[in-house]
Amino acid sequence: MVETVIQAVINGLLIGGIYALVSIGVTLIFGVVKIVNFAQGEFVMIGMYITFFLFSYLGIDPLLSLFVSMPVLFTIGVLVQHFLIRRVLGPNDMPQIFLTFALSLLLLNLSLLLFSANYRTVHTFYSDEAFHFGAFYVPVAKLIAFVVAMGLSGVLWAFLHTTDLGKAMRAASQNRDVATLMGINPNRVFAVAFGAALALAGAAGSLLMPFYSAYPFVGQIFVLMAFVAVVLGTLGNVVGALIASLMMGIAESLGIQFVGADSGLIVVFAMLLLTLAFKPSGLGGGRVR
Amino acid sequence: MNRDRTRAASGTGLVTERILSKRQSRRKFLKQAGAALAAGAFGAVPLRGYAADAINIGGLYPTTGSMAQIGVGCVAAAKLAVEMINEAGGIKSLGGAKLNLIISDVQSDTTVTRTETDRLITSNKLSAIHGCFASALTLIASEVCERAKVPIITGSSSDQLNKGRSYTFTPFARASQFAKAQLQMSKLVGDQPKVAVIFENTAFGTATSNGLKELAPGEGVEIVMFEPYSAGFTDASPLINKVKASGANALFSVSYLNDLILIVRTVKQVGLNIAINGGSGGFVIPDFYKNVGKLAEGLQGVAHWNHDMDANAEKVNAEYKKRTGEFLFEYAGGLVAQTFMIADALERAASSDPQKVREALSALDVSSGFAAMAPGGKVKFGPDGKNIYGRPLGVQWQNGDLASVFPKEDARAALMKS
Repeated sequence: MVETVIQAVINGLLIGGIYALVSIGVTLIFGVVKIVNFAQGEFVMIGMYITFFLFSYLGIDPLLSLFVSMPVLFTIGVLVQHFLIRRVLGPNDMPQIFLTFALSLLLLNLSLLLFSANYRTVHTFYSDEAFHFGAFYVPVAKLIAFVVAMGLSGVLWAFLHTTDLGKAMRAASQNRDVATLMGINPNRVFAVAFGAALALAGAAGSLLMPFYSAYPFVGQIFVLMAFVAVVLGTLGNVVGALIASLMMGIAESLGIQFVGADSGLIVVFAMLLLTLAFKPSGLGGGRVR
Repeated sequence: MNRDRTRAASGTGLVTERILSKRQSRRKFLKQAGAALAAGAFGAVPLRGYAADAINIGGLYPTTGSMAQIGVGCVAAAKLAVEMINEAGGIKSLGGAKLNLIISDVQSDTTVTRTETDRLITSNKLSAIHGCFASALTLIASEVCERAKVPIITGSSSDQLNKGRSYTFTPFARASQFAKAQLQMSKLVGDQPKVAVIFENTAFGTATSNGLKELAPGEGVEIVMFEPYSAGFTDASPLINKVKASGANALFSVSYLNDLILIVRTVKQVGLNIAINGGSGGFVIPDFYKNVGKLAEGLQGVAHWNHDMDANAEKVNAEYKKRTGEFLFEYAGGLVAQTFMIADALERAASSDPQKVREALSALDVSSGFAAMAPGGKVKFGPDGKNIYGRPLGVQWQNGDLASVFPKEDARAALMKS
């Protein structure tokens, strides 16, 4: 019994690391640019396809393809911010919601057209391997994904807290008007925030590929979890999103183990509902970090 | 209008006059040429009609959306079957009429399936329909066909398709029969089978697994775990964790491809030594092996059709392989047989009227040729539209191919015990 619980927690933590990469991206965009990016999942999907094609045509290991998928998605992010998002930033939220939603639909259908609905998998030498410690096991590919995800989150945190640009981003997220008055160029800050968020989505895609299949709808699975995590961890709060993602991974895993495999998410959504009822601003408290 | 312009222009001087008349003659030429072309185009239709009107067959398949992968293969097989029939001279009792396949994309969506089936029937004069591979979609399409009185022939396995319908025909094994075959196969692996059943919580998964649960005691098989899961999960580990804790020595997974890949990989990672029977669905298609690779070797499943069944099946398989590069999978192979069943019915009905085709289908009785390409080699429909000879095959992945291993009379290779 205790063993089963510990194994379930291990499983949950590992998948929670991936949820974290997606939800940190969503929360970063919300915190800085103040829009909800519904297309975040589709960028994870793009990251997965980049990784898949690099592997199948050039034999590049998914982990090395991080160095391609992240810069590519960073560039896409900057371009999307510059050419699309910038035009709809204003007092009215609706155009922003429609824009990112339309972007999500466009990318989804474009990928259906280009890549078909087939499942694509990558088979690396560590895809099916696992470390065994006594009664427990840790799948290699997921452990790598978790470690890299935590590392990238740490890098982002350090960037936000130690660099001028990072501090400017935090300033813009706390109060856009004051930040502008202090001489911070909002367009530049927004572009970097959007790019960084998409780079994280790209990283999530590359890290997922050794153990998960790529297909056009794959992003939707992860983006649902990301939105829950973002709300749980307080919108705009990077550390909150990280912690909430890990908690959700564990809650889902324990839910599958002890409630039922078709109702693992019930635990997650119950968590969300209770949080919203008793702590509407999320577990991160109202403070944006 | 033309004439008015010319008249008005006639007083404006010679130069304008000439230009205008030139313009007008070009207009005249275009008009005449257009008329000639139109006459030619319309003339062609009656000419072809004298030979024999083509017979419209509807095909409902998801060629986009989450089920597109199998749907696209189905469409390739449906086209191949129609070509085979047309090349062999079409429907002789109708003056060699050719079959005309009209494919409609049901987009892997139940709502779209309803509207598309409706649209397909109302905007075309159809003699029969085949589709939709996924039971959830076929249940809806068959309802629409029932109301419109157009026969539908399907390889979908849900037993519900045989209840209260008189225009639905199911030439292959039913979900309940799959269950029995799967249970019997588990006894081939060990004398004391302890089975864990995991299934996706859809119509397909629930129907199949309930069949397993009901029949297990009668077959002397103990079910130690029975667990639905939501399709499209991100992580199979908690589920496999549960399987491990249950002490099962055989695992029945009723899943589509994506989930099954995760399950098989996770079983390997956990280091669980268990005989996996993937049932049908996503398990018996070429993509499964492509995605899972060597890990697929030795995995068992059940199918309503397999390409090594008989000489005819192997012939169609060879042609399909030449076109698509992949072996003819269960659903697509069955679909070729279904098309020949429709052709057989049309031949006997000597009419393209859907009601007469339905009557001819209900009287179908074949034991040779492409229409009889079914396990057991015979097709005859009972009053519920079920093939009274229908039975499933047990299959196993061996060297990258799917081999029939069960029951004895249909086995083309020996069961590999992993």
